[in-house]
This record gives sequence, C-alpha cells and structure tokens, in this order.
Amino acid sequence: MTASSRGSQAAASLIRIHPRVCSDCINHISRPTQRSYATEAASLKPLDGPQVTRPSNLPPVTSHPGPAEYITKSGILLSRPPLLTRPPTSFEKAFFFYQKRLNERLVMPFSRYFYFKKDTPADTDWKIKARERNWQPARELGGYSPYGPEAWNDELLVGDKLSETSTIMEALVKDGQVRAVEGKDGKAQEAREEEKGKVEKPLGRITEADKTNDQKRLDRKLNRTLYLCVKRENGGWGLPSGALEGRENLHQAAERVLVQTAGVNMNTWIVGHVPVGHHILQPYYVDGKLERPGERTFFMKGRIMAGQANLKGNLFGLSDFKWLTKQELEDHVRPKYFSAIRNMLAER
Amino acid sequence: MALRELPSVFSRLTVRGSRSTTVAAARNCRRYASSQATSTTPDLAADLQDLESQSSFTASEYPEEKIKAYDPVKRAQGRKRQLPPSRFQYRPPRYYRGPLHPHQPPPASDPSSRVFVPGPFSHTRLEQTYQSTIAPDLMTLTYVHKPPGTETTPKADRLRTWDDSSPYHKGRPKRGPRGPGEVLRIVEKDINWRNIPKIKEVTVHTMIKGATEDSAHLHVGGIMIQAVTGVRPTVHRAKHSVAQFGIRKNTPISLTSTLRGDQAYEFVDKCINLVFPKIKDWSGVKGTTGDGAGNISFGFDREGAILFPEVEVNYDMYPPKMIPGFHVTVKTTATSDRQARLLLTALGVPFYGKLVD
Repeated sequence: MTASSRGSQAAASLIRIHPRVCSDCINHISRPTQRSYATEAASLKPLDGPQVTRPSNLPPVTSHPGPAEYITKSGILLSRPPLLTRPPTSFEKAFFFYQKRLNERLVMPFSRYFYFKKDTPADTDWKIKARERNWQPARELGGYSPYGPEAWNDELLVGDKLSETSTIMEALVKDGQVRAVEGKDGKAQEAREEEKGKVEKPLGRITEADKTNDQKRLDRKLNRTLYLCVKRENGGWGLPSGALEGRENLHQAAERVLVQTAGVNMNTWIVGHVPVGHHILQPYYVDGKLERPGERTFFMKGRIMAGQANLKGNLFGLSDFKWLTKQELEDHVRPKYFSAIRNMLAER
Repeated sequence: MALRELPSVFSRLTVRGSRSTTVAAARNCRRYASSQATSTTPDLAADLQDLESQSSFTASEYPEEKIKAYDPVKRAQGRKRQLPPSRFQYRPPRYYRGPLHPHQPPPASDPSSRVFVPGPFSHTRLEQTYQSTIAPDLMTLTYVHKPPGTETTPKADRLRTWDDSSPYHKGRPKRGPRGPGEVLRIVEKDINWRNIPKIKEVTVHTMIKGATEDSAHLHVGGIMIQAVTGVRPTVHRAKHSVAQFGIRKNTPISLTSTLRGDQAYEFVDKCINLVFPKIKDWSGVKGTTGDGAGNISFGFDREGAILFPEVEVNYDMYPPKMIPGFHVTVKTTATSDRQARLLLTALGVPFYGKLVD
C-alpha cells in the first residue's frame, strides 16, 4: 500500500459514522477476502438455467411523504454452530453395537501377520492386549468371538453397559497404551508400569461452562447451536438489530450493527446477502396520529468463528448479552417475537 | 391410561347411539380441520399407547431376579439334545427364481440374507457437520430471490423435433444436438432446500504402471487401496495395447474402489483433516478440476498415499518401491463444478489457481 492511499484511507475513516472502528478493521469487515463462500455467492448467477426469469408487473416502490410509518432494520442472527456430534440415543448405541458384532461374524478373519512382523515389540504388544480380549481383534466388543461355538450369542442382555459410549472410549484408551518394549538383548518384553506411558483421554462433552451454566460463554452446549441474544436497558431480550442508514443495504448494515453492538473483538461472517427471516412491529397511533413508527426487521444469518461479544460502549443502549440455544431463547423473548423467529433457528 | 379413558369411550358410544344415523353420518362427512384436531386427540393418544416409551435396555418392569436368572449361554449348554438344525440354520435360496417361486430370498437388510452388509457403525462426523452447518449455509448463500409475479419464459427445447413431414415421425424420440461429438450437457439448477449439493460417492482409482512387468505391484496396490478405503478394489484390464507405455491388451493394469454413504464421508473427512495438512509443499486442489457435472477429482502421489493413517501404522510391511499413488473422484449431487467446489470448500478442501466452471 502506498503512502498516499494510506493517507486517503485515514481521512476516510475520519468521516465515517462509527469512529470506534479503525480503518483497517472496516476494510476487513466490508471486504471479506478469505470468504470463498461470499465470493462464490456473488458469482452464482444462473448461466445456463432452464428458464429465463424477469420481473414484470411489479408495483413501483415509492417513498411516502411525511413521517415514515415503518423503519427498516437489519437484524443479525449470529450463531455458533455445533462443535460436537449429537449424542447417540440408547437405541442407536445398541443398534451400532449389534451391527459391529454382526460385522465381526461376516468379515474375513484379522490377518495379524500383515500388520505385525514376528517377534517385534509391536507383535508382542498385540499379543498381550489380544489375550485380554479373548484373542479377538475388535477392541470394544467385549471379547465376542464370531467364529466360536457361542457365536450365536451376539446380543446384549438387559443392563449391559458394553454399548455405552464411555465403555467403548475406555476400551480404546486402554488399548492405546504401550504394553511391550524392546529389551536390552533386542527382544521384545512386557513393559513395566513406568514404561507404559500415559494415553490422553478425549476431552469431555460437558465443559466447565456447562456445569456453572454460564450463558455468556461460547464453550457451553457444544453439540447445539448457540445464538447471540441481547437485552435492552429496561427492555426485553431480542436479537441484535439496528436501522438502515443512508444507502446501505441489509448486508452492509448487518456488519455495521454487529460491530456497533458487540465490538470488533469477534471474527464473524455474514452468510450471503439475503435475509433468513423477518419480524414486523406495527406502528402505534394515538387519535389517528403516528406516535411511534413500526419496525420491519430483516434478519441476516451470521456465524462466529472466534472472539467474544463485548457490549461496552454499544450504540443501542444494550445492557446484557447471552449465548442461548433455541429452547433457552424461547424462555427469554416474548412469545410473539419467538413465533416470528423460530423457523430460522436450527433444531440442533 | 386405557382404563382411565374407558368411561369417556362408553359415553361417546351411548351418545352416538341415541342420535339418528343421518345426523351421525352428516357429522362424520363434514370434516373440519379444527374440529378434527380437537376430536381426534384422545384417539391419537390411544394409538400412541402401543409404542414403547423406553428402550428394552432400560426396561424396569421385570423383576431383578428374573433378569439375572436369564442366561442364554447356560441354557444352551444345559440342553441335553441339540435343537433341530432346520430351526436355527435358515439359509436363503442361492438363486433368485423369480417372484412366483415359493422360496423367496429375505430382504437385503435381513442379517440372514446372502447380500446383507452390516452397518452403519456410528454417526459420521463430517456428515453431521454437513447436516447441521454446511447445508443450511449453502442454502442461504446461494438463494436466488424471485419476487412474486415474476414471469418465467420457458427456454427453447434443447432437443430437435421432427417436422412431421412423414407419418412415421409420429412418436419418434427427439434428436440430440447437431454436429459430431455434440452431447447434451447437464444444466445447472438453482440450489433450493431440496437439492443442496452433497457427497454421493467417492471413487478411488490407481493405474499401476509396474503391473505390466510384475503383478506384485498390483497386489501391493490393491492391499493399500483396501486398507485406505475399506473397500476391496476391482481390477481393470487394459482395453487397448499402447506401445509407448508398454501396455498390452487385456493386461490387468488398474484398480478402483467405490465408497458410498458413511464410508465416503469418512474417507473425505480423513483426506481433509488428516492427510492434506501433512502433505509437504502442497498448494491445494487445482481450481481447473471437475468434469463440468459436479464431480471433483484430486490425487495423492506416493508421498501423499503413505500419509494415510492406515498405511502409516504398518508402513514397513509394504515393499517401499511398490506403493502407488492414487486419484480420488468425489461425486456430488451438484449440477455444476462451481456448486461442487462450493460444497468441497465448505467441507475444507482448499482450491488454488484459476477456477474453471
């Protein structure tokens, strides 16, 4: 970047409406360069579509003289997508376990000599572990032998914990431990307790924020979608929104409103250029005179990749924020508001 | 619950009996959505009573001692005589003898079927991400708004019709485009909630050059492809002799394996999250890839192939000079390359260079 262009950018940032944001950030926000989605979306015009469409007989849009009955607002449905898979139901767990045992019955036997050279530590390691599970290759099936005389007994009994996710995880972690090492004479030997090493367990699905139910944190409810919800001072909860200014469109307004609401300390992405939902607030009249104009809010879909919301110095008089799931959102907002936004919220 | 509802059922019966049949008939004929919704609620509840509210694994209505006493293995061992084999060794017919034959094979989902394939064994991580995040985003991203009242002009037919100059033209199929080598290419469709692109299948293919001299290369390649994909590869023979490559007709020369469903998602997941990040000096998948119909291909050379965890775990069991690289074709339900690329980008595949649609 040359010095002259930097100067012009600095000057431009002075005239901008929101002086809290530096020119670099504004550039970054208004021109997402790494978002391959958005660029693709812009270029996604049908070239060779089956039908040509053109608008006709549409009523012309004109501006009314006098005070506007409705204010057009851009709202943001900022969400953190699920980070974990859905926990399987008890039926799914039992079904998957049964299918695994059926698979053991139908596949070719495990060819040990393809995987382990004879008399190597790896081979001894396998032998030690396999002995503990009835010489079967499958680690989490409870020593079920698919070719033996009791192969028919492949169903779990009531109360058996073998198909539980935690049992399977423990079996896999135990299997990850080194049980044989190379001895002094070059031969493989069983590992002593200090030689076994520690196997790192996978992190739990329930985090600290889940336990304390800290609804401001983003690392809670990891298998659900969380939505940013803000509270107006002496008002109710709702999604962040703000009126359009000048000639900006919904997409630009959403980016601006998000910065003015929750600060610049968030790496976000507004998905596409079209709204995913709307909410209409009727105008309020007293004796036929317009007391309070109505609001038409169009919600743009957004995703948060990193960072956290910060309401300090926001321009909309907001006092609190939370990251809520769909069900929690229902408890926080008014029923009428929720019925307007419920269909754009993901079930999971 | 059924007992509790019994009096109300009786009262309904008596009321209906006291009315004239015409009134009752008229009441049954007129079906309003609102009245039906309210009136059928108890019936619905009665229907749902048959469903079990709990899995049999957590069933608690059986006494504890009865559950503990049930031991099928002990019972089988304590049996004096063997059970008649016909009862427990059902065999489906070896050949399908038509729909009228009395001995019909069981459906493919039945474990006793000869074509039964077990699975699925778990939920796929990548597919859940697709369902929860990627598909809704793609739909929002590629939405094309058509205001109500938009006129749609049908495009000209792509096939040529006959001019009816002969009576034999009646009922003839339409002709394809004019010119040699002209084919009807696939038309790109707008993405809507019903046709969001997704992965249909994945084909892994490798042409093994050394197989012309020594078939050992083919065996090693086959084992490696099977280890990596989990599907036994099919061997293909050369269709023509090519003197420059030293290929003779009918020589086994290449291997393919096709993955579908969960296996396909698992394989793509493995490529994206485990193998791509480990390849040295790799700039991504070429932007010019694709066949124009939504199928994207990329390849792994020998150094890339040995980065797959299934090969890494026992790398020294493979003859090092014989490990082949392979091509991967991801077939998607997208109708154009850019839509397919959009999907793969969202899944995490990086593309570089000029993008060709």
